Amino acid sequence: MSGPVMDPRLAPPFPKAALPILQNTQLRKNVAHATDVIQTKRNRLVAEKTDWQELRTSAAAIRAHVLANLATYLDEFEKKCTAAGGVVHWARDAAEARQIIIAILQEEQATEVIKIKTMTSAEIQLNPALEAAGIIAIETDLAELILQLGQDEPSHIVVPALHVNRQQVREIFARRMGLPQLPDDPEALTAAARTYLRKKFLSVPTAISGANFLIAENGSVAIVESEGNGRMCLTLPRTLITLAGIEKVLPRFSDLEVLLQVLARSATGERLNPYNSLWSGVVPGDGPQRFHVVLLDNGRSEILGRKVERQTLQCIRCAACLNTCPVYRQTGGHAYGSPYAGPIGAILTPQLEHMRHGQSLPYASSLCAACYEVCPVKINIPEVLIDLRAKVVDQEREEVKRWTDPMYMGMKAANLVFASESRFRLAQWFGRLGLRLFTDKDGWIRKLPSLGARWTLSRDLPAMPDQTFRNWWAEREGRGGKEAR
Amino acid sequence: MISNSRQMILDRIRAATRSETNRYDEISRGYIRAGTLDSNGRIHLMTERLHEYGADVVECAPAEIRQAILRQIQLSGKHKIVIPPGLSADWLGEGVNWLPDKDLTHDQIEACEGVLTASSAGIADSGTIVLHHGTEEGRRVISLLPDFHLCILYASQIVETLPEYFSRFPDPPRLATYISGPSATADIEMTRIKGVHGPRFLSVIIVRDDS
Repeated sequence: MSGPVMDPRLAPPFPKAALPILQNTQLRKNVAHATDVIQTKRNRLVAEKTDWQELRTSAAAIRAHVLANLATYLDEFEKKCTAAGGVVHWARDAAEARQIIIAILQEEQATEVIKIKTMTSAEIQLNPALEAAGIIAIETDLAELILQLGQDEPSHIVVPALHVNRQQVREIFARRMGLPQLPDDPEALTAAARTYLRKKFLSVPTAISGANFLIAENGSVAIVESEGNGRMCLTLPRTLITLAGIEKVLPRFSDLEVLLQVLARSATGERLNPYNSLWSGVVPGDGPQRFHVVLLDNGRSEILGRKVERQTLQCIRCAACLNTCPVYRQTGGHAYGSPYAGPIGAILTPQLEHMRHGQSLPYASSLCAACYEVCPVKINIPEVLIDLRAKVVDQEREEVKRWTDPMYMGMKAANLVFASESRFRLAQWFGRLGLRLFTDKDGWIRKLPSLGARWTLSRDLPAMPDQTFRNWWAEREGRGGKEAR
Repeated sequence: MISNSRQMILDRIRAATRSETNRYDEISRGYIRAGTLDSNGRIHLMTERLHEYGADVVECAPAEIRQAILRQIQLSGKHKIVIPPGLSADWLGEGVNWLPDKDLTHDQIEACEGVLTASSAGIADSGTIVLHHGTEEGRRVISLLPDFHLCILYASQIVETLPEYFSRFPDPPRLATYISGPSATADIEMTRIKGVHGPRFLSVIIVRDDS
């Protein structure tokens, strides 16, 4: 089996990509286990928080406020970060961000770079570009390392290797680290990663990170993590490059009192993540002495201008919507064909692609709204999904193939029928007559031809009743009317 | 070219958000800011949370700091301990190989078995140790590479809630690290493993300057 395609431009549509995964029982078992564990922890810690709804309300209000004043806060962030010794770059799209980062690394004469897990770097497909420029990217998050060494792709925003189990990790590490005797208990596997990466931390002079938050007030960057690989990358190298979406900014340092609380509980079911790091610019004598921030637009300013969709940018990447989603829980992340999976991926990916790719994703949902209920910044994902579906339909309407598309023609016909009472009555009469041909003796329809087969493939259909409601009503009126008078 | 991109992005953002008014002071703040516990309660909660993370916690009186530090280091079995340059000399007892951080190289710090630091605050609700990396807390690297972190926290520095910490420090620090338990991962089958890259052992001495 070839690896999953995570580029929305090349990935097959969701239903097609999901099919082989649904047959992979091992992967489904791994995904179900991991999402269950996180959800249980998350629910327990949310339940103990008596002001959870107030925190959500504030978190949503802060994020919405930032988006409404985004230019002001980005401008302030840039000024403060620059004053603190950082260098701020602006990238309109993925290609420009890659160019900027590679230019910095070439100036540093870097041959290797250590990386903290960053979704944004996956979004701009940085690693293949680094490789093409002769720079080796070393992922330092344990899960990302597992995927990188196993030539696999992330399937979750927070725990990207949740689809891989311990035997599979053992096999990857044994092969790639040259440790044939490695046992498969998580403790030994983690220790192997620690030893493997320690040398890299101490020797590689350049690092790349994402950002959980940018603080406008003092130009600082916040990273939350668990393992300490983040602290290593933020502290030991000579040069640090932070890649951040323009929406990541927060007005003030103290706004973290809300965001850190909701993020940790939603993402990993913890009261706070084991490590949170904050730094502004360059601090003489402590940590990297050259610091660059790359602010990435890549479609975000376009999303900002759309009324319903803007809330997509409130996201703080906690992945609670993935863990609770009945669709994600069956398919895992690879079916989404994008680094951003699950409900948030279903709305974010097609928008980042300017609605030119990933159009099947807004349909990868039952609209049950579990994602909205858990979202710590109250993104109404179902609302955005429906709006995006409308946009996809609008696009399809533009296409020429519509006259040969049975679904389109069927809808046209339905439109015609429902528009007039007499046509509707006629259609009912014909329908009853026609369906009688396919009705079994016990009153059920089990097999329909052509388009109708799509329904009967998985569901039976009751026969049309002998009498329509309208006929019955007319008859009843006739009888009852007499008695009343 | 780069400044061009800056202008283009900001122009697009301004066009998308034109004539909107959404004021910072109108953000709803209905969540709990202040805690309700007294000093004993805060220390009790802080200790409980630190224990949940597998950290070691002891209490001592202000006059006993030096003794408490020595005891904890002896218990840890470590000898070579790096210390920030501004740490009080009164804390440093005999029999430990103290290594003050005067421009130590990463390799020299890596060769240390432990680190002793002060701290800027403790947050009881989440069992969090806050470092702002001043001269008593040291550069970030010294509390990162050694495997054992011994941390001094005064009872008066402990707040109950995260918002209380932020009201205590209205001026943002230049650097901050919030430590809520030792380094951990759950990346393999969601099994929590202590100690990936940061210190595997965290020990906290709470100094009772409150009674």
